[in-house]
Amino acid sequence: MGEILQYLLTGLSLGGIYALVALGFYIMWEASKAANFTHGDVYMFGAVVTVVLVEKGLPVVLAAPIAIAAAAVIGALIERLLVRPFNKEPNAIGWMLTTIAAGIMIESMATITYGPLGRPLPSPLAEQPIRFGGAGIYPQEMLLPIAAVAAMFGLEAFYRRTTLGRAMRAVAFNRTAAGLMGINPNRIALIAFALAAAIGAFAGILVAPVVQAMPAMGSLIGLKAFGVAIVAGIANARGVVIVGICYGVIEKFIEGYISTGARNAVGFTLMILALLLFPQGIFGRREVVKV
Amino acid sequence: MIWNFLRSTSRGPALLAGTALVLSLSIAPANAQKAEPCIAGSWELTGALAHTGLAIKMGIDAAVDEINEAGGVLGQKLRVIAYDDQGEPSRAVDNARRIGERDNCIIMIGGYRTPNALAIRTVLSEIGQPWMGVISAGTRVIEWENGKNEWMFRVSAKDRWVAPFLVDHALQRTKNKKIGFMFEATGWGQGAVPDVEAAAKAKGTALVGKETFNIADQDMSAQLIRLRDAGADTLIFYTVDRETDAILRSMDRIGYKPTIVSAWGIGVQLGKTAGPLTEGVLVHGTFAWTGQLSPRAQKVWERIKAKENLKDPSELVLPSGTANAYDAVYVIAEALKIAGAYDKTKLRDAFYQVKYEGIIANYNPAFERTVERHDAILPAHYKLLAYHKGILLPVAQTPHALRF
Repeated sequence: MGEILQYLLTGLSLGGIYALVALGFYIMWEASKAANFTHGDVYMFGAVVTVVLVEKGLPVVLAAPIAIAAAAVIGALIERLLVRPFNKEPNAIGWMLTTIAAGIMIESMATITYGPLGRPLPSPLAEQPIRFGGAGIYPQEMLLPIAAVAAMFGLEAFYRRTTLGRAMRAVAFNRTAAGLMGINPNRIALIAFALAAAIGAFAGILVAPVVQAMPAMGSLIGLKAFGVAIVAGIANARGVVIVGICYGVIEKFIEGYISTGARNAVGFTLMILALLLFPQGIFGRREVVKV
Repeated sequence: MIWNFLRSTSRGPALLAGTALVLSLSIAPANAQKAEPCIAGSWELTGALAHTGLAIKMGIDAAVDEINEAGGVLGQKLRVIAYDDQGEPSRAVDNARRIGERDNCIIMIGGYRTPNALAIRTVLSEIGQPWMGVISAGTRVIEWENGKNEWMFRVSAKDRWVAPFLVDHALQRTKNKKIGFMFEATGWGQGAVPDVEAAAKAKGTALVGKETFNIADQDMSAQLIRLRDAGADTLIFYTVDRETDAILRSMDRIGYKPTIVSAWGIGVQLGKTAGPLTEGVLVHGTFAWTGQLSPRAQKVWERIKAKENLKDPSELVLPSGTANAYDAVYVIAEALKIAGAYDKTKLRDAFYQVKYEGIIANYNPAFERTVERHDAILPAHYKLLAYHKGILLPVAQTPHALRF
């Protein structure tokens, strides 16, 4: 019983990371029908910048917002310089190459300037685990799924109750029609990428106290989160969060009851099977195209 | 007479040219052995393992600077050439060819990863290039399956010898004689499995559990639960800093506190990231710069400190690797003196005659002409270190030494 609870708790924590990062893919896709493959590196950027600022003497409550703001600026720059110029045609895919290349560059730059080794981000919530029922978890880790669900509801409220949010939904629904209504789709995409980067950086900061902040921390998470977003049906925020959290839990049970080596093989196989059964994603809708 | 015969025939000039070509080709390998006074490394200088290459270079630079200040070797100053292989075997192969053929350096120094050292074995044999390992501890780097290693030497640990060392210390610490094994899913970790199993068997015991994990994993609760349920009160680790931090946190989550005896993949960085969780973790090593140093080692540290702008010995992230590299350069210099020339074959042969006292050990001799003795550091030279207050120290300088 204790081990089942342990896999569930650590799975929820891991799933929270996937969900938060995958939410960023959802936001970007909605605004521009493109994804930013540097997103895992933006997640790393948030953690690394926060650690550096804390080491410089800033309190974490100040360092974290600065890192999030810096990540948002980077997200906007990526949209303007690496996505928009390569996403003008309906089926353009140049943004894939540019963002993958930029991700590699960001990680390399971080390795050169920050160093390759992990560094801790002190947090009182990552010092003593809470133990119950034969299992244990750091309070910091429990923040991750909570933050993912909160971000999801926050996004939904933002999309429904604010003018900017409604404009973003309008662009997601029909970019051309939104443009004719006076909404600037390019500006919306820029804001969406900044918002996604901010959420990604926030996820990195939340996880840093338990995993160490290091340049290589984002690449695999980014890839898996993208997979989660696709399997969920990338245009559904609730679906993205549910699949993200479930995928984290499934990975832990695979580790526990099959083997660690089988985790990625079985996990990605499940993703492929899910896509075979639900080509639009588990929570996705079939898009109707008028011809 | 042959000369006259060649001159007398109509094809004489062609035969003369051909003979000259054959003669020149036949003496080419001998000329190729004449080498430049450079020590060239293929190290991990960028990427996730960049700290390892830099740690090696610190030791190399310190020794080369000392030697050059004293006049060099055979009247020539040594040069250090560093190539980056990013931990990738294919790049290490390219670098080996560059070092052996284009730069024609007298010796190549290996990097951190065993797979890189394994990848260049054929190339080194083919071009006759002496190689000195200073970290990569894989048994097969030196002990080739065909027993024909001529050019690869090492001033470092060897996994086949490390495994019994770890098992010995694990057996000394275990209370219920149940030892588990945790290793990373890499060539290094998986390669150690038969060594550790054989060492346990030789001691009349068996591992109660073996668990592995992937690089960059962040939670190992599942594996640890299995080891805990198997009753293991002592674990042997073949892991590195980042994943060990995750393992220690996973142990903390589930309240599992076995004794840990680890191979040297973990270093001083773990003390900084995992802090109090490292207390009492035992680590195999060849050297520690923290704690009390010999007068000579203290001087070396002062030199490294000044050159690299360091404050504390704990900033030397791979203490054993830096010390191995330092001693290796002196072993090479001593061999060159015996060889009497910058000649690769003579250097190789001279290695067997080197007797030298370094900061790690008294190498007497450094190497022997047997399959297993191209390793200079012997099991008797291995040291047990322990984390105390987040710092990796010789175990005798911590409360974690066994007191009989």
